[in-house]
Amino acid sequence: MNKATTMSSDAAASAQHQKNKFKLKCHAIWIKTKAFFHGNPPAIIGVFLITMILLGALFAPVLSSHNPEKRVARPHQAPSADHILGSTRNGRDVYSQVLHGARKSLTVALFAGIIAMTIAIAVGVTSGYLGGKVDEWMNFITNVFLVFPQLPLLIVLAAFLGQVGSLVITVLLGVTSWPWGARVIRSQTMAIRNKEFIISAEAMGESKIRIILVEILPNLISIVFGGFLGTVIYAMGAEAGLGILGLGDATEVSWGSMLYWAQVSSSLYTGAWWEMLVPAAALALTGGALALINMSIDQVSNPKLKTGPHMKLWKRLNRETMKSRGLL
Amino acid sequence: MSFLLRRLGFYFTAFLIAISFNFMLPRMMPGDPIDALFAAAQGKMDIAQMDAVREMYGFMDGSIFEQYIAYIQSVFTLDLGPSVLMFPIDVTTVVGMSLPWTMFLALGSLIVSLILGVTIGTYASYRREGFFGQFVPPLLAFISNFPYIVTALLLFYFFGLQLEILPLAYTYDPSIDPGFTWEFISSVAKHAVLPMGSMILVGIATWVFNMRNAMINVLGEDYVTMAEAKGLSSFRVMYRYAGRNAILPVATAIAMAIGFSFAGSIMTEVVFNYQGLGNILLKGIMARDYPLIQAILLILVSAVLTANFIADLLYVWLDPRISK
Repeated sequence: MNKATTMSSDAAASAQHQKNKFKLKCHAIWIKTKAFFHGNPPAIIGVFLITMILLGALFAPVLSSHNPEKRVARPHQAPSADHILGSTRNGRDVYSQVLHGARKSLTVALFAGIIAMTIAIAVGVTSGYLGGKVDEWMNFITNVFLVFPQLPLLIVLAAFLGQVGSLVITVLLGVTSWPWGARVIRSQTMAIRNKEFIISAEAMGESKIRIILVEILPNLISIVFGGFLGTVIYAMGAEAGLGILGLGDATEVSWGSMLYWAQVSSSLYTGAWWEMLVPAAALALTGGALALINMSIDQVSNPKLKTGPHMKLWKRLNRETMKSRGLL
Repeated sequence: MSFLLRRLGFYFTAFLIAISFNFMLPRMMPGDPIDALFAAAQGKMDIAQMDAVREMYGFMDGSIFEQYIAYIQSVFTLDLGPSVLMFPIDVTTVVGMSLPWTMFLALGSLIVSLILGVTIGTYASYRREGFFGQFVPPLLAFISNFPYIVTALLLFYFFGLQLEILPLAYTYDPSIDPGFTWEFISSVAKHAVLPMGSMILVGIATWVFNMRNAMINVLGEDYVTMAEAKGLSSFRVMYRYAGRNAILPVATAIAMAIGFSFAGSIMTEVVFNYQGLGNILLKGIMARDYPLIQAILLILVSAVLTANFIADLLYVWLDPRISK
């Protein structure tokens, strides 16, 4: 009886402890998030824009005013109350198309980024941690991929495959754009593999897999995430590029295929700028916003790069001290 | 010297891999590209010519190994068969005509953005608490990460179509005879402003950030403080003391940028109807001209590899320690 109560109180205490731990962790994350945004307008702008774009893509069916794949207007209607971003040559509503196109384009870019970074981590960490012959071979393969011009390779592959769907484009993009990430991850792994905590983990007899997953990977997070964002930006641009060249599936609604139809109908020459410039602007904003976030992540992983109000504060305090001492 | 030899060996191996890839490509694809080719040619080619193309692909009698040897032979003798698109002109001739323009765009924009980017990056790191250092890098990061095609389209629309101050197509005014005359050169320059400008805009941020990040590490060094304490001008401290040492890590990024630059050139050429490889590539794709497409891929790979080797030479010149 007595024993049981102790046990239950023990359980309660440990639950309480868990709860506190969780609270502390949440608090730590909150502090870090605040520090990330504090005095960092680029990060705020970037995250704001991306949130807007993601929400737009997520709620595309609700937000769009027309069916993006149906003829709902006369060709090349200028922006009006009914079609707020005008209509295409084929009478599609540009506003609805841009929202729905975001889904396809962002999905392609995100998954291409995930595929690329998975390969990059596998190759980079293995190669950097194991060293020796494995490293030599993997590094050679990485370098070969690195000097190959990716986009022409992609174009030729897509051309041979015929009009490829977004799934194939995703895989092609992912498989061709990992080498840069692999190289950066490899050099970072090599830099930390001789640090004390790795050596002590090895001395304690931890398995290689565990060392890689638990000791090394967490230290690579900012690099991996930075590389991921970079790949997403590249993949989005490449998808649009393949689209405008007519290599993508023009029947799917994506930003790339929108550019393709705008190009085919020579909308810029006929004055229907909205058909071309709206998807172009969407691509530009997404790319730019992701780049701003990427830049801010760089500053987190390398605090030396962070220059902001705290430097101004330091300067102001410095000046005030000097003044109070009568030096200025 | 051994460093350069090793690099040369590496590029040669990479080139062989590219050839092998090119050889396998039509064999890996679903369907027979020769049939597609025949359909695309629409009776422009007779049986003998088709056989010639078949042979060029290596689709001839004999084992796959013999076919492979024959293909490698045809690559090194630059005998890549006739182009379907511009029949009966050689693929090699077609590519040779447009390659210089692509090289001009890709390498020209790379060099200009490198110089501009390094200069801006140095200044931005030196004045990193000021307006310039706070405002310019994020702005450049934002603009530079528009996809190539989008930057090109925007410049095309605003400067070409709306303001009508710059030409929209071709590498030079077709009414001018090519030659070493002022008229011709100025026409080429004028036609290159927009395509090259869009590529510079896209490429510049890489260098600004590489340089700025490298500089920020160097600026903490004692000799920089010493130089400042001596009362040297900030220009001298920035570019002669700190900049010189920060440039090394930047030079390593050139290898990567070369490939990107050529890729960007292809996209830009399509938008501005610039008569380079990208334009030909697009036409080749539309006409299903597989020999031409493959030749362009091959020539792009060789151009990128050569440019990489030149970057290696530059690196050795910048940092002589590496060649030992």
